[in-house]
Parts: sequence; structure tokens; C-alpha cells
Amino acid sequence: MKTRLSLLFLLISLTSCFERMVDIPEETIGIAPIYGDESDKEIKILEPQEIGTLFKIYYKFPYIYAGEFGRGLHIIDNSDPSKPEKIAFLQILGNTDIAIKDNLLYANYENDLVAIDISDLDNIQIVHTLENVFASYSGDLFPIGYNGFFECIDPTKGTVIGWTEKILVEPQCWR
Amino acid sequence: MKTKYIFLLSLTFLFACAEDSQSPVGNGGNGGSGQGGSLARFAIIDDFLYTAGENELNIFDISDPTAPELSASTFIGAGVETLFPFGNFMFFGTQTGMLIYERNPEDGNVTFISQYEHITSCDPVVTDGQTAYVTLRVTGCRTAAAGATDVLESISLDDITAPTILDFKEMNSPQGLGLDGDFLFVCDSSAGLAVFDVSDPANLLEVNRIEGITAHDVILSNGTLLVIGPDNIYQYDYTNAPELSLISQLELQ
Repeated sequence: MKTRLSLLFLLISLTSCFERMVDIPEETIGIAPIYGDESDKEIKILEPQEIGTLFKIYYKFPYIYAGEFGRGLHIIDNSDPSKPEKIAFLQILGNTDIAIKDNLLYANYENDLVAIDISDLDNIQIVHTLENVFASYSGDLFPIGYNGFFECIDPTKGTVIGWTEKILVEPQCWR
Repeated sequence: MKTKYIFLLSLTFLFACAEDSQSPVGNGGNGGSGQGGSLARFAIIDDFLYTAGENELNIFDISDPTAPELSASTFIGAGVETLFPFGNFMFFGTQTGMLIYERNPEDGNVTFISQYEHITSCDPVVTDGQTAYVTLRVTGCRTAAAGATDVLESISLDDITAPTILDFKEMNSPQGLGLDGDFLFVCDSSAGLAVFDVSDPANLLEVNRIEGITAHDVILSNGTLLVIGPDNIYQYDYTNAPELSLISQLELQ
């Protein structure tokens, strides 16, 4: 108890020194976890999806890869830049970043690195997985690469398979 | 002494390259790889994939592309947000400053060179090897320190071991940025996309601004700007910069 109190005190003093106190808003736009089963987590190509919250962009002619926060990538055919067209959605839950060389797309799949052969979008192949190489992403506790308020993760509700934008009332989690 | 000499040599080489090249300064885009925005945490250089985590840099050997191997994991510092490779250097935007590392092209490993500290905020970095440009964002950056402001800064790399500030401009809520020659394109969130003339980096001049769009990050490719906002992708022709002409915006549905 005493340790806890002094820890709290330390935290408060730290916060006041180096960071402004966080004002928890009554209502704000943030993100909330999507829960699901392990089986929902498959990396796969889906039909083109509506734009939700774009997060990252990557370009390798003729395709633009527009990252949808924690869900995957809109693949946009940009052969004619005056008429870009969404042609598919690559679902990679927990993904925040990619890089592409030739026909291989490297992505983080939560804490794993996956190499995906995208030469045929109708038949993508996961050619390699390196597990737990992004340990410090702490994707289990926090939305990766996001700064702002979010709905706290409730592990009793299942596995976090993604994040979605949501209006939050007095959010208790942020980073 | 010898190390110093080699370092100087590589610097000279680097600057020579930078001056010869008229192509935009981008994240990646070499030898079969694509291009990321300035907010990217992943970059491919030759046979290496670099990934910036919260605190560390992972280096993957992809010389066998279908069987990547983790070759090193190096502690960089707290709050790493972006990485930007340039020549044999690697620039990191962290919440407390810009870090410069040198990259060994043989084994891909990086060694610390210098750091430019700033007040805690959120910041990406781009560079042409002579000047680095960083945006410091407070708005929507939960970790920002009291007293921090939203600014764009230009930093001299004349002495890469001791980067020094040249100029700064207050912004709305600056995020990603991109550089091509004398023009710097800065995404300023809901205040749109700003174009700066940086022919004199010690005197940052805003020469154009596209309003009415929300801009988060930008990629420069063959005279085209790809601008990403939370719900759209805009493409502009910037061959007549500072004038920009809209080529397209993505259909939302």
C-alpha cells in the first residue's frame, strides 16, 4: 500500500514536471478495440472497402497502399493518377507499417513480421513469418503507433483483432 | 583519425550525390522497393529492412527475400516515431529529438553520430543531407510537454556531429513532410498543405497553401504529390511549384 502510494506520488510529480496533466475530455473522438476469435485474424484479400481512418501511405507504382489503422491496406490502382481506383483490401489485423521490395510485401502482423507475395492479388501467399520480433510494440496493451485516447482493452472480451474510430466518453486510456 | 577521415570522405561523397540528384528526397524507393511517407517506421535499403519500434531499431537481412532474418536489434531511445534513411545515414524522429545514425552498407548495422534535442512533442524528419527539416506537433500529441508549440524547424547539418537550428515557423498542427529541391511540402492537418521555399533554409518562406483539405502525410514521386488525410488521398502536380494543380482525389465509396 505504502509503495503504491509513493509510486502514485512519484507518478504525479513526474507528470507535473515533464508532461502537462492530461485533461480527460467528457467526449472525444478516439479509437476502440474490435474483439474477435483467432480465426478472424487471417491475412487475406477482401473486396474493396469503404475508407475509414487512413493512417499510413506507401507507393509502389502502379499501386498506392493506404493503411487503415490496425486493419490492413486499401490497394489502389494508380496507373492513371487522374483516376485512382480501389481494387482490393488486404486484411492484416494489427498492422501499422509495411515496406515492399519487388513482389514481396513486408508487414507487421501485430508482433510478427510477415512476408507476403503479392504478385497475384487473387492468390496472395504468406511466404515467411518471423514471430515476436516486435515485442516492444506491446500491441496487446496499446494500439500500435497511435497517440491519443482509446477505449481500454478488456482482455475478458477476447482477442483484439483491430481498432475502429469511436466517440469516447471520459476515456481512461491514452498514450 | 582514420575513422574520422573515412567519415569525412563519405560525407563528401554524400553531398556530391545530393547535389547531382534532382530527384525528390523520399523514404525508400531504391532498387525495386517502394516509397513510404515521412511518418513511416519501415524502410528497405538494399538487402536490409529497417523497422523502428517504440525504442529500438530492428534490422532484417532480406538478401534471401522470401526468408528474412533478424540480424540485429539496436536500442535507439525512448519514443521513436519515424525513420528516414538518407545515403549512409539514418535519421530518427523521436519524441525528444532528432537522432542521426550512420549506416554500414556491408552489415547494415547503425552507429550513433549525434542528436538534436527539442522539447517533447511528435515529430517526423526529412533531409537532403545538408539541412534537416522536422515538424514538432503538440496538437493531438499526448506526450507533448508543457510549453511545446506546433512548429516547423530547419536544422543545419554542416557539422553532422553537431546539428544546429537555422529557422523555425509556427504551424497549426504539422505532421508529415516531403522535400524536393527548393520546395518543402508540409502537411498541417486541418489547416491543409503548406508549401515552403527553402532555397535559403535559414529563412523558411511559406509560398503557398492548399486549404480545405486535411493532410497528414505526403509522398513525392515524379512531380506528383500524394497527400493522405484521414479519409482521402489527393494527388497534385507540383512541377510548377509553388503552384499545385489537383490531379485527382479518391472516390470515397
